Amino acid sequence: MKNNIRVERAIKNITQADLAEQVGVSRQTINTIESNRYVPSTVLALKIARVFGKPLEAVFMLEDED
Amino acid sequence: MKSHFLFPYWCRYLGWGLVILHVPLSLLGHAHGMTNIMDSQPAGTGPFTGEHMFFICTSLMMVAGLFLVAFAKEKVEDEQIWHIRLDSLRWAIYVNYLILITSLVFIEDVGHMLELNLWVPLIFFIVRFRWVIFRLNRSAREE
Repeated sequence: MKNNIRVERAIKNITQADLAEQVGVSRQTINTIESNRYVPSTVLALKIARVFGKPLEAVFMLEDED
Repeated sequence: MKSHFLFPYWCRYLGWGLVILHVPLSLLGHAHGMTNIMDSQPAGTGPFTGEHMFFICTSLMMVAGLFLVAFAKEKVEDEQIWHIRLDSLRWAIYVNYLILITSLVFIEDVGHMLELNLWVPLIFFIVRFRWVIFRLNRSAREE
């Protein structure tokens, strides 16, 4: 699963630490999600999408091998 | 994220305190001729003999310390930490049973096997868990 959190963060002009604080996780977790090394739970993915004010599938996308 | 059955963050320091404290107590006990009941069968009968108390003050203190260190919450206990915790626990169980089964086949010293069984899963869990978190922090710092 890939995501465009980095792009959405840039649009909203917030840091990883800001996003982490808003969804209640550590900055390291946001970092690993952004670099596709960790797949978040549905709850966390929904929280992240809500911060950006977008539907889930605009932030997270399935890849062919998923 | 709700994290059930974990000790508060400060318990980590209490745990390390117990682990460190067990060292001078062990040395003091050995200097006074005490032996761990796992090293030899106790001379007295029943619990709370001198050697049993020595065992409680040393080995059990260390295990309790390691237990607190292993299962104290992180500063931010999120779902990724929970995932790493479970994964490390799985590896600790694998390693423990591998050592246990190998020992059962090749070694007859049951006392030392029990002692090994007390420490191996906790120590392996702590080392693996901290190592993964260290790598995570390092990669986050680099970006």
